[in-house]
This record gives sequence, C-alpha cells and structure tokens, in this order.
Amino acid sequence: MFTRHVNRWKLGALGILAISAVVAGVLASAASPASHRTAATKITGAGSSFVFPLVSTWIPVVGSALGIDLTYASVGSGAGIAQITARTVDFGASDAPLTADQFSACKGCVQIPWALAATSIPYNLPGLKKQVKLTGPVIANIYLGTITQWNDPQIQKLNPGLTLPSTKITPVYRSDNSGTSYNFTDYLSTVSPAWKSKIGVGVNANWPTGVGGKGSSGVAGVVSHTEGAIGYVDVAYALSNKFQVASVKNKAGVFAQPGLRGIAAAAATIKKVPANNELHIVDPPASQKLAYPICTFTYVILPTSSSKAADLRKLVFWALTKGQAYGPKLLFVPIPKVVLASSEKTLKQVQS
Amino acid sequence: MSTLDPASGARGGLSRGLRVRPGDLIFRLLTLAAAVSVVALVVMIAYEVLKQAWPAIQEYGLAFIWGDVWDPIKGVFGAWTFIVGTIVSASFAILVAAPLSIAIALFLTEIAPKWLSGPIATLVELLAAIPSVVLGLWGILVLGPVLESTIEPWLIKWFGWIPLFSGSPSQVGMLNAILILTIMIIPIVSAITRELFLRVPKELKEGALGLGTTRWEAIRGVVIPYCGPGIVAAIILGTGRAVGEAIAVSQVIGNGTSISRSIYAPANTLAAKIANSYQGASTKLEGESLLYLALILLVLALITNMAAQVVIRRAEKRGVL
Repeated sequence: MFTRHVNRWKLGALGILAISAVVAGVLASAASPASHRTAATKITGAGSSFVFPLVSTWIPVVGSALGIDLTYASVGSGAGIAQITARTVDFGASDAPLTADQFSACKGCVQIPWALAATSIPYNLPGLKKQVKLTGPVIANIYLGTITQWNDPQIQKLNPGLTLPSTKITPVYRSDNSGTSYNFTDYLSTVSPAWKSKIGVGVNANWPTGVGGKGSSGVAGVVSHTEGAIGYVDVAYALSNKFQVASVKNKAGVFAQPGLRGIAAAAATIKKVPANNELHIVDPPASQKLAYPICTFTYVILPTSSSKAADLRKLVFWALTKGQAYGPKLLFVPIPKVVLASSEKTLKQVQS
Repeated sequence: MSTLDPASGARGGLSRGLRVRPGDLIFRLLTLAAAVSVVALVVMIAYEVLKQAWPAIQEYGLAFIWGDVWDPIKGVFGAWTFIVGTIVSASFAILVAAPLSIAIALFLTEIAPKWLSGPIATLVELLAAIPSVVLGLWGILVLGPVLESTIEPWLIKWFGWIPLFSGSPSQVGMLNAILILTIMIIPIVSAITRELFLRVPKELKEGALGLGTTRWEAIRGVVIPYCGPGIVAAIILGTGRAVGEAIAVSQVIGNGTSISRSIYAPANTLAAKIANSYQGASTKLEGESLLYLALILLVLALITNMAAQVVIRRAEKRGVL
C-alpha cells in the first residue's frame, strides 16, 4: 500500500514537473517576440469610456509606428482623474474638464483636448416612423419633470407632422459619475435658466425625476427596454446600438443631427482657447447653421513632470495629428486647427 | 522509498514521545493567528472607514443621517434617501422571503417524500450560487418587463388605494429590487430552517401526533415553537444579506435620487449608491461623504448581526438550540 502511494506521489510530481516545463516553454516562446521589439516603452492610461473606441484603434498603430506599447483602461472619466492624480497611470482621460479641486489635487497636471464628439438623445417610441425633433428647453423640462407625456403641447408643437402617443416619458440618466452627464448638464444649463438654477453642471446631479442606469450600457439598457424612455449617450454608442436619436434645434433655428457634419460645424465656432484648455461648445453661436448643440471635447490629462515625458509627448502629438484620421469612422471629428495649436503648446510643458 | 520509510517513522515516534507535541503547538498557533487576524481585519476596516469619513462627519455631524439631498453640484450631501431605501428594500424582501422559506423548509422536512425533498433542497440551495450580477441582469431583462406589464397594473387595480401601491408601473424600481433580494435571501433562510426542523426530536412530533393532533397542529404546536429562535436568527442573517447587496440592487432599483411613496418608483440604497459613485467623486467632500455612507452601512450590518447573536444566545440559554 505505502509503496504504491509513494509511486503515485512520484508520478504526480513528475507529471507536475513535465507540465510546468511545457508551460514555461510556451510562455518563453510567447514572450520572446515581445522582447524582440527592442525596448518598446510601456505607456498606460485610464479614464473616459467615451474616448475608448478611438484609443483602442490607436493602440496597434502606435505600437508599430512609434514603438509605444500602449494600454488603456476604460474605467470612466472620474476614475481616470483619480488614477492620474495618484500617478498609478502615465496619463488620464476625461470628458469633463478638471475642476479647480481636481487640478490642485493632481499637483502639476495639464489637460489637452484630444478628441471631439457628440452626446445624442436616444428615445424609445416604437410606433413612430419619423425622427422626433426637440429643443434644449424642452429636454430640460423633460428632465426637470415638468413635461411628463410625449404628446405634451411643447413637444407636439415642434413635431407638426407627427402623431405623438400619450405614453409617459421616462427620463434616463447616468447613475455613475460621467463625462457624458457633464456634457449633457452643461448643455441644459446653457439653454435653460430653470435647469441652471435648480440643478447645474456636473458629472452627476441631483436628478429631479427619472431612472438611473450605470454606464452608457446601463442607460442604453433602460432606454431600449422601456417604452417612452429618453436618454443621453455618446453618439457612437447610440449608432452601434441602432437607437433612434432626436434632432436638436440649434441657435440658428435648425434641427441638427448628431453626425460628423453637425459636430464639425459646432467645433468650427471656436475662435480662441483659454490657457487651461477648458472648452465649451454646447449651444454654439448661430454662425454655423448645421452645428449640433450637444458636443464636447474630451481631454487627455498629463503630468507636467514624468520619467516618460518624451514618449508621452510623442504619443499625444501623434494622437492630435495622425491619430485624428481614425476618428470619423467612430463619429469623432478631427479637432480644429486653433485647438490643435493650443494643445501642441501645452504639450511642451510635459518634461522629464 | 527505502530512505523515506524509516525517516517518517522516526519522526512520528519522536513527536509521540514528547509531552507538548510540536505539531499541536503549531496547529494551536495557526488557528489562533487565523482567529486574531480576522478580528484585526474587521477592526482595521472599521478604523479606516471612520478615518476616511472623518472630514464629512465633522462637516455634517449626525444631521447627515436625516439629510435627504445628495447634490454633488451644490455640494450638499445627506444619507436619508439611501437609509430609507436600504431599510425598506431589506425589510420587504424579508417579509416575502421568510414565510416562503419556512414553507419550503416545512415541505422538505415534513411533507415531501424523500425522493422529492433531496432534489428540491439542492435546487433551492443552487439559487444561492447564482452570481448577484447575473440575477440583476435577469431582473432587468425578464422580471422588469413582467412587473411593468402584468404584476404592477394588477397591484394598482386592487391595492391602489394604499398609497404604497399607487403610482405608475415601472420596469426598474423598488419592487424589482425587493423581489431580486427575496430570491437571494430564500436559499439562506430555507437552508438554515430546514436544518433546524430536521433536528426536532422524533419523539416530540410523534408524541403530539399520538395525542391526536393533525399534522398541521403538530407543526404549529411543536415544530415551529421548538425552532422559533433559530428561525428568527436565520431571518436576521438573511436581512444582513439584503442590507449589504450592492450590484444586483443597483441594476434594478433605478438609482433614484429621492424617496418616493410608490413602491414601483426608482429608489436607492446605501450599498448601491456607494458602488455607483465611488469612482470619480467630483469633490473631496463627496468622496468623504460616500465613506460616511459606508460607515452607516457598516453600523446597520453590525446591528443586524448582533441582533442575530442575541437571539441565538438567548435561545441557547433556554436550551432550545
């Protein structure tokens, strides 16, 4: 009996040895091509989920073109700011500009606008064939809870050819802290004095009515399952989920679409960039007829002092120039020249 | 082989000859270390939460507890909405789950034939193995639509005169969260009560039946009183589970920002609010206030668990357990 046990033991040990040898061999062979890429610099970033689709198309390209091994964690803007503040990553990314509190906590950080997109207004009204038209004040009243039904005169007036149902409106908001909420509340505060005084602008708010969903997927989930729901998600997300989205009236009086032309037109209204690079293009001036009114820049947050400064500058410069070409497929619009100039200038502050 | 055998034999003989066996000593120290480290961990967690929440505690004091606004833009924070949501969701869940669980346990131990009770018991306990995030998804995709189209309109029709059951149907909201929590609690409470029922001495039951009681009278008069305190403890343990659940609740409760009188409307709980907002709190004070919420949750959980301990201890004194 005993000897048999020992034999089994030995066999087991041999087996384990053999398996670990094979595993080690496989690992070594898998690791070797990586080490061939002669000292690719590892750069890690975290934050905005809004910009994630764009960054993930950049990753293979910067790997071969710049020799930068880029990893990006799509953990949300707030978490991205927290992580660059703690310096656990090389850069952060946020759709909301840093607050004064966040700037001082980050101790020597700069924000650089590096992508541009829109927040769309999806809705769930299965019977309707034609697109619903909305205005900023009407959206604000829906989210304030003063408009509660789709056939409310305020909405009906904007959609003369459409028979709107009496379905109850369920406004859906982001329950987590998000840059998309910042963009949305920024817009509502600009167009609705009631919203500005009662609620304000932020990555989250004291929503007076409605249902909260976690993440873009949470909002999308509630909107797609609830008849009469209305929400707000980044436009790429709405398109990939085949949502119906509303057209929104701009200052020129046009009901604008959240497409490439609408976003580019909104960005074209920027004439000057402030020193801290904080840009607001919600409800842009009437000079651009097609401008979609709920657009936002999204920012990369860099430490001004970093051991990887040279590679960070190389990476972000690439993203600001060549990287922009990868945007339109994902409904990101190349950033305008005046913003690019300011971004490049700020980038020079990143030193080792 | 030949070298191994005598060596191990000698070692065994040596330790057997000593008064204090080293193995025993090591075992004792190991178990002691395990026990102490758990206590230390709890104390350290409580200390850390208290320390991190301290600025918010100084800012608001106890008024934080009944403050019913959470406005990150204006920088006003209060816990009342989430405390009420936690208490309401947990107590309603236990109100539904307790009788169901006891009925399941009674069926399995007293009524069902052996060939049926085994598989059913396993299936009920399998409920506990479903990850809460999967249960939450089921709540969104399956339970929500059924609630909105069938159950809630029915409730409104027949019980709408009670303010709690009035309002308009909604896929996500308090009722959905209550039902998801109920499903989570049932396996816990029913497994414990089943064990309790199995431990009721046969003589007692047979004695009651011998006196001419019906089966129901024997259950009501002998089985349930015998297990009473244990059942209460099981229910409190289930409540603890309901109070602390974050993920599934945040998926189905609708993450409301205020207290609603209607049970169909969105609400929020302490655990769900923390899970939703901790990443990327916009100001320092919001982060600290979230930890204040965590502290309140910790105290609530502690109270429920201590209540369970007290009930069990009292029962032990009376010799019931």
